[in-house]
Amino acid sequence: MTELAQNLIDGLGRGSIYALLALGVAVVFGVMHLLNFAHGELITVGGYVALWTLGTGWSWYIVTPLIVLSAVLTSLAIERVAFSRVRGSSDFTLLLTSFGVHFVISAIFLLYVSASVKPFDRPSWVTNTYSVGPLNIEVYDTVVIAVTVLTLIGTTLLLQRTMFGLSLRAAAADFDTARLMGVRSDTVIRGAFALSGLLAGIAGVFWLMRAGSISPSAGITPMLKGVLAALIGGLGSLRGAVIGGLVLGLAEVLLRSRLPDSIASLTEGVVFLLIALLFIFRPQGLVTVKHAVRV
Amino acid sequence: MFPRPGRDIGFPIAGCALLFAVFLAGGLIYESFQGRAAERLVTVMLIDAIIVLGIQIYVGNTGVLSFGHIGFGAIAGYAFAVVAISPTEKLKRIPDAPFGLDEVLLNPALAVVVAIGVTVVVALVVGIGLARSGAESGAVAATVITLALLFVTHEVARNWPDLTGGNRAGLTFKVGGALDSRLPIYLCLLGALILARLFAQSRSGKLAAAAREDNLAARAMGVNPLVQQTAALLISVVVVSVGSSLRVYENGSILPDDFFFNYTLLTLAMLIVGGRNSVTGALVGVAVMTVGRELARRLGQDGFEVFGLGLDTAPLDWIFRENLQTVFLGLAMLGFMIFRSDGLLGDWELDGWMWRVWHRRKPEERPEPLAEVAPAGLHAEADREGAALEVHDLAVDFGGFRALGGAGLTVMPDEVVGLIGPNGAGKTTLVNVVTGIVEPSAGWFRMGERELTGAPSHEIARAGLLRTFQNLRLFGALTVRQNVELASRVAAQHRPGNHPPVDALIAEAGLWDVRDRRARELDYGSARRLELARAAAMAPAYLLLDEPTSGMSDAESAEMIGRIRHMAAAVDAGVLVIDHDLNFITGISDRIYVLDQGQVISAGTPDEVQADPVVRAAYLGAESDAEGRA
Repeated sequence: MTELAQNLIDGLGRGSIYALLALGVAVVFGVMHLLNFAHGELITVGGYVALWTLGTGWSWYIVTPLIVLSAVLTSLAIERVAFSRVRGSSDFTLLLTSFGVHFVISAIFLLYVSASVKPFDRPSWVTNTYSVGPLNIEVYDTVVIAVTVLTLIGTTLLLQRTMFGLSLRAAAADFDTARLMGVRSDTVIRGAFALSGLLAGIAGVFWLMRAGSISPSAGITPMLKGVLAALIGGLGSLRGAVIGGLVLGLAEVLLRSRLPDSIASLTEGVVFLLIALLFIFRPQGLVTVKHAVRV
Repeated sequence: MFPRPGRDIGFPIAGCALLFAVFLAGGLIYESFQGRAAERLVTVMLIDAIIVLGIQIYVGNTGVLSFGHIGFGAIAGYAFAVVAISPTEKLKRIPDAPFGLDEVLLNPALAVVVAIGVTVVVALVVGIGLARSGAESGAVAATVITLALLFVTHEVARNWPDLTGGNRAGLTFKVGGALDSRLPIYLCLLGALILARLFAQSRSGKLAAAAREDNLAARAMGVNPLVQQTAALLISVVVVSVGSSLRVYENGSILPDDFFFNYTLLTLAMLIVGGRNSVTGALVGVAVMTVGRELARRLGQDGFEVFGLGLDTAPLDWIFRENLQTVFLGLAMLGFMIFRSDGLLGDWELDGWMWRVWHRRKPEERPEPLAEVAPAGLHAEADREGAALEVHDLAVDFGGFRALGGAGLTVMPDEVVGLIGPNGAGKTTLVNVVTGIVEPSAGWFRMGERELTGAPSHEIARAGLLRTFQNLRLFGALTVRQNVELASRVAAQHRPGNHPPVDALIAEAGLWDVRDRRARELDYGSARRLELARAAAMAPAYLLLDEPTSGMSDAESAEMIGRIRHMAAAVDAGVLVIDHDLNFITGISDRIYVLDQGQVISAGTPDEVQADPVVRAAYLGAESDAEGRA
């Protein structure tokens, strides 16, 4: 029982980060039908910002907003440089464009920094824990969960209460109709990328705090988690993305602690297999989005 | 009729042989100038070409973007290595190998067969997942499944050291490579080329390409895309397995990162730069990217000294750095996607060009009129006898919206029946239900004795219900003739009896002069007529035409009436035609059903329907001008 509760807390902490990543992927997918394989690069950029600024002796309190800001700016920049040019292209082109962006960004760091993994200082409190009854709770997980809840509330308010949020949801439901109704596609797409960058930046801060290092290919894992979580939730559904992230985090933690030792190191593989099974039996993901087929 | 020995077999093989010769000659000439240093580069290029061709078979023909093929490559590579490495070597690397594999030793040729077997089994399972996820051209879920496969194989390879030697040691045959001669590579490359080309020209390849161009239209024409995609997947995985085994053997070792993201990027970049829909393009892409990458690597190392011109490279030192080739790869992929997403060659094939040159001298004769050449007895008598199309009490709900509320109608085999109603009356929904695209919530439909309710689209089409689409769904990249030929191929397989000749159908539709034009280049009227000809090529029992004149002028509409009746009579099909244009419907139909708000409100001959006060009230509303357009 205690172990289960412990797993749940750990899983929620991990799942929160995935949820933020997945939400960022889903927001962009909603307005552009683009699955952004370059989403993890927002964290890579933030990671190098952290590396250079922490290296010059700045504290995490100053570096944190810089990471978030760099993620937002990078997100807007790749939209401007690459994605705005392929708007309305075939899905195949969109997929490979984002894959290309991913590679160009990581290759640039490879070219100008180095292929090696560079460590930086983690904040001292990341590994601290406190006890509640029999449970050992990490300060880190507590902060992650709290910030995620606040971010989700903020995002919900943004989407529900503002004109921009309304445009974005309308565009996600039916882009062409939204345009006919006067939603400006440039504004809403850039807004979506900015929001996506913001969410990735917040997730990135926590990701980097835990990792304590950065390398050109560091974006691959967060990208994969975000994309998978968005898909588990059912692409196109923002609520689904959050649910998908939490489910993925919980599944990873639970499996790691429950699997027999001999295959515990293959947890990730098992998770992927479970996801594959999910797709086979429920191809549309956990949260169904009804799409009318126009014939 | 298919396959045509010259066009579909002879020319592709000749073209592949020529391609292979040119490709190889290029490599060997480069080698002779650069000496031994270039030998490895050329060997690697040849092996990359095999793997890229393997990926092309799937990605090119189905349009599904796969990141997973290098994952399949990893499976094949490890399977090959585990059974082909000597037990003494395995004792050092993987002494605790499971399943008694530490004792196994097969010769390399046999080991490749094992690798293919293992990989194909995995591919079958993945194929089921892809099919379930609704794989079609550009499908996102399918792509993520393949990406997941790439990561699973990598994770397993890293974390199962008993089998794979883990992340650091890996598995080793022999330092510096175990392949003594290039002959196996040559043979495999030539084989891969021919296989890829023949598959593209095969029935399966053509049908997969049709589904790539328009999945829904392909299904509505009796193609089951999942079967063709799975065929493409298995064949492509076989080629990738062979290529990957060679890659491991030539390399002399395998590590998890050998078959991971970077190699995926390299092979995909090669494929799309040349043109993913073309085998020639895939090979050109391999050559271009190999040269470009080598150049970028050496520029990164030595700057302009590569060219020996003594140029000052200092101002460009910020670009000419180590790892420049990786940036080059990423930029090449991104640049082509943004500026030329079909690659250098698009779908151009060497043998297709050879064929056209060869046949330029003898012009084709215009075919005889359809009515004269259409074979008698298109449908077996049993098929015809009372095989009325009956639609009974269909209901469809979209969420809270009731699109159809118990609509029914009957069409007899020799009739042209019109279905008219205002926008939103449920006309298209009715056709969508009857062609298996939308599931009804109640009611049934059948043709003669055959119950078709709930059958998938392709089975309904094979039973003889063929449709056209309101918003035109042609196979855009294929030519006019290929569009019709494709339907004819499906008919040859699935429709009993004789079939109308392709060329006569094209001429009948008034498309003879544009027969080699791509469908997406046609004007609106021609495109509509092509859709009609394509449906007629299936020797349908019934044609269901969804607004066949939408977007046409009145004169074109009037001409279309004659064309539809003529074509239907020639292929011996009943017709259900939908429109909201009263003039057109009364002009073409023997009988008319009027649909309003999901229900049939009137039925009868054109005169009866036009006189019906209910129709005048509901359909024409306040306007009482029965001659006017709706």
